Amino acid sequence: MVATLEMPETTSPTIVNQPEQVPKAEIERAMIEIEQLDFAYGAHQVLHGVNLNIPARAVTAFIGPSGCGKTTLLRCLNRMNDLIDSARITQGAIRIEGVDINAPGVDVVDLRRRVGMVFQKSNPFPKSIYDNVAYGLRIAGITKRSLIDEAVEKSLRSAALWEEVKDRLHVSGYGLSGGQQQRLCIARALAVEPEIVLMDEPCSALDPIATAKVEELIRQLKEQYTIVIVTHNMQQAGRCSDHTAFFYLGRLIEFDQTAKIFSNPAQRQTEEYITGRFG
Amino acid sequence: MIAIAFKSRRTRRTERVIFWLLRLATYFILACATYIFLDIGIKGSRTVFTSTPPFINLPFLTEPPQTLYVFDYDGKKMTLSDRQFREWKSAHAGVDVEATSVAYSAGGIWPCIVGTALLVIGSMALALGIGISSAIYLSEYSRNGRWIRLVRIAILNLAGVPSIVFGLFGFGLFVIFFGWNVSLIAGWFTLGLMVLPAIITASEESLRAVPQGLREGSLALGASKWQTIRKNVLPYALPGILTSSILGIARVAGETAPIMFTAAYAMKDEMPWQVAKFTDFFFQGVMALPYHIYVVSSKIPQNEYTERVQYGSAFVFLFLVMLIALTSIVLRERSRSRLSW
Amino acid sequence: MEGIADSRILIPPRTKSRRAQAVVEQGIKAFFGGNALVAVIVLALITIFLFREGFGFFGQNLSNLRLYRQAGLEYVDIIRGVASRHEALSRNLSEIRLSEVRAAQKRNAPLEEINAALAPFDRFASAFSDTADNLHGIVSDLTEQASELKEQLFARAELLAQRSQLERSGAATAAEKIVVPEIDRAAALTRLREGSANFESVSAEMTAKLYNLLAEAPPLPDPAGQKAFEQWKTRTREYLAGLPAASEKLRTWSPDAPIPWYRSISSFLFGREWVTASFWQDWYGIIPLLVGSILVSIVALFFAVPLGIASAIYVSEIASAHEKRLIKPYIEFISAIPSVVLGFFGIAVVGQAVRAASQSSLLKWISFFPISERLNIFTAGCLLGFMAVPTIFTLAEDALRNVPRGFKEASYALGANRLQTIGRVLVPASLSGIVSAVLLGLGRVIGETMVVLLCAGNRIAIPDFTQGLGAVFQPVHTMTGIIAQEMGEVVRGSTHYRALFMVGLVLFTITLAINYLAQKLVARYRMSIG
Repeated sequence: MVATLEMPETTSPTIVNQPEQVPKAEIERAMIEIEQLDFAYGAHQVLHGVNLNIPARAVTAFIGPSGCGKTTLLRCLNRMNDLIDSARITQGAIRIEGVDINAPGVDVVDLRRRVGMVFQKSNPFPKSIYDNVAYGLRIAGITKRSLIDEAVEKSLRSAALWEEVKDRLHVSGYGLSGGQQQRLCIARALAVEPEIVLMDEPCSALDPIATAKVEELIRQLKEQYTIVIVTHNMQQAGRCSDHTAFFYLGRLIEFDQTAKIFSNPAQRQTEEYITGRFG
Repeated sequence: MIAIAFKSRRTRRTERVIFWLLRLATYFILACATYIFLDIGIKGSRTVFTSTPPFINLPFLTEPPQTLYVFDYDGKKMTLSDRQFREWKSAHAGVDVEATSVAYSAGGIWPCIVGTALLVIGSMALALGIGISSAIYLSEYSRNGRWIRLVRIAILNLAGVPSIVFGLFGFGLFVIFFGWNVSLIAGWFTLGLMVLPAIITASEESLRAVPQGLREGSLALGASKWQTIRKNVLPYALPGILTSSILGIARVAGETAPIMFTAAYAMKDEMPWQVAKFTDFFFQGVMALPYHIYVVSSKIPQNEYTERVQYGSAFVFLFLVMLIALTSIVLRERSRSRLSW
Repeated sequence: MEGIADSRILIPPRTKSRRAQAVVEQGIKAFFGGNALVAVIVLALITIFLFREGFGFFGQNLSNLRLYRQAGLEYVDIIRGVASRHEALSRNLSEIRLSEVRAAQKRNAPLEEINAALAPFDRFASAFSDTADNLHGIVSDLTEQASELKEQLFARAELLAQRSQLERSGAATAAEKIVVPEIDRAAALTRLREGSANFESVSAEMTAKLYNLLAEAPPLPDPAGQKAFEQWKTRTREYLAGLPAASEKLRTWSPDAPIPWYRSISSFLFGREWVTASFWQDWYGIIPLLVGSILVSIVALFFAVPLGIASAIYVSEIASAHEKRLIKPYIEFISAIPSVVLGFFGIAVVGQAVRAASQSSLLKWISFFPISERLNIFTAGCLLGFMAVPTIFTLAEDALRNVPRGFKEASYALGANRLQTIGRVLVPASLSGIVSAVLLGLGRVIGETMVVLLCAGNRIAIPDFTQGLGAVFQPVHTMTGIIAQEMGEVVRGSTHYRALFMVGLVLFTITLAINYLAQKLVARYRMSIG
């Protein structure tokens, strides 16, 4: 639990010279709008006034040093932070397709179905591969076998796992390799047909070959899904994202086209981070 | 250099001696336990098993306890149970014998076995129902505030409260205050409450051992809280919960102090199902094996006539409780090796 | 890969039935929460109920103590005290005779010769015992009078209570009908004083007789016996010197002197007598029970602590993996042996064995052997020790196993051998875990009922510590035992009933304190290692 949370090492963000205006990329159609978001664990504020529009059908990467609040922000997008005691949004709003996800009428179960998530540590259920993928469908009340069969195959194909596991769908998901497990988790997330897929450092526990496969997958998935990915790996952000947001000490420092950020960042801090002078 | 070598030889010898002492202590414990098992096993099996088919002393297991009559007749020593003695007397009308009677020492222990089974089933149903539900609430739903922490500490501490205190409480509240008298239901509540803290603690531990990732993974797929718990938490926590509850069964079955004055009768002629109306079933006292052992080992003398029932009951009881405990230990060892996250 | 996003029709959007599901979710949560609440309430109830029933004790005991004074029982007990101290001296004389006989037997003297040699002493002893005849006469007369008065006062109090209860419930006419007899307490007490009027003359007479007797006390053949006899004589003189004080006490005694409220508490917590269902006066002093429980626990821990810790060290550090797999479950298995079976085993086997051992010639040199009671502190302590071993073993082994590997490796790297590593690194590092294991073992021992009920001998008395270690071979009663034995027979709401709840409350408090301490220690140990 604690492992997935990132806390800033220091609470006083004195080094930050907050820019007058965060540079923003021009975005045709914003899927997710984050507006002046403050977030705190108890008395400890983690996010400060984040403004961000995340484009639809594209990959957006969150980068920044450990504890900068990027995972926290990601977990706000499907209200996963609800599970943590005393964690709450203190100000601001998040809108998905114009709807405030924290409004009282919004059903969190419905939200999470629309906003899928892949975790840092692959967490397949101790069930068969088939049951793992079918889980989300079954809990949504779908019982028709043919429908589930079809959806399982489609999801596994989408996650580029079908060829590897089609002969052993009914063995435990724990028997797969780390990379396969992570792709199984992606397949599981895709099976419920979300609109947005959140990925929290999906490759941090994988070897380079498995990482390459997952990255390739991410590039393919953006055709249909809005993807938000948190990563520590600058190259990864460069390789597979369209837009990149750089966070530092709970503040959004810069958000722009990935190419722009990596070649010509507007902020000194971004440049220092990307060139590896700190982080 | 030589000094060091010499010293190391001496320290090696001390090491060996001390290791042997430790080994001796360990095996001494095992030997004591083995001696107890053997003593009760051997002397008890003389009562419980027979040398002729069916090799099991069925009357001992299926009859109620009776008084034993011992007397000399015609140069022979007669040992007859209450019923046999009456039959004998009617057959030998006019014969006057001086019979010594020894209570409880004839017949069997069937009603005690039944009573213990009833007590265990009822109290475990109660304790598991409330205990597992409470554990689910504490581990899955409750927010980790000060109040919940306090509740946890209280439960943990109550697990160590002596069983006689629970008996005292059960007697005061259920038997007297609620007016249930000495009854099955008072015993259920007393025993159930006694194991409740242990069951809550153990169940919560099993629930917490299920990785958080499984919960998050399920919730992120749009499962509701209850769906997550039912499909993705409980199934994996259940082996642990079951193991601990089997241990709870062993404890409930083995306790005497809490039922002494809440549920157990020393002697009762009717079987529990021989009641006038349905509700009487719950409000009747029962005979119970542990209480029977207490009665036969403290209220009647130790001699050749009483040894049969004393060792017989102790053997049957020990065997049953040990069987339950063994099941739980085996289950735990097995699940330990299989489930590792 | 074709058009998944455009065909999102598989799962329908939230419908009415799924709104109902949300209600169900809330219901399920409420159900679990309700159960948790029930558990918490019931467990809280235990505590509250114990207190409720227990605290009533103090009020009732206070009136019990007041009645003791008002009915003159206290007065009679002053005289009784004088008489019983005389009896104790008499008993001492027989003890001296017994040791004298033993000493003579060691010299292989024939019995007739011994008896002949002790004949003057016997005459002295019987003369001594006779001096108190008049005293005993007074005591038995007064006892009758005082009990009668107490009965009357008690009955009257009952009737008064009955009447006031009826009045409170509105049945005034029924209340009128209850006739409460008037009791002339003053007259009765005057009679009591008259009955004891000759106490002073009797005691003076006794004093004179005794001084004469002491003057012509016969010598004893054995020097050790003679020494004991001399000591006895000093005690007797002290006793005689104390007699005027008793007379003084009788004169100043007042039946109406107030008894402060705290006497009720102090007489429970520090009372050295637990006497119930007595025709004379009930005393509820927890000390004999507490001492019994403590002594049994000390004996149990004396065995369990070394055995439990030794086997924990052996299993976690020395045993082979193969041994470990066998020993660990086996010891845990022991903890499941029902206590009543162990108690039975204690009666049938251990008690006999302890007595047989004490009678063996090998152990003759021990002064308090052979023992008279097979069921005693030692027998119960042995069995309880055996019961506590698994508790101590399991927790201590846990603590040892959780010492980080690095500690051990660092020690080996410095050239320490296994024993040094165990003694200087592992045990210190897990010490608080081991101590808490011992504490939890103590908690288990002190709360155990059946073994002590069956094997501790059930004599309500503080053991005679003048025997030194021999005190451990005397029967006692314990807090748990007394509840188990007497609870079934008491009248609900009586002082005795409430006294047993108070004992339960004391037991509850002790075990709670022990558990709490153990948990604190474990938490600290986790922190220091983690």
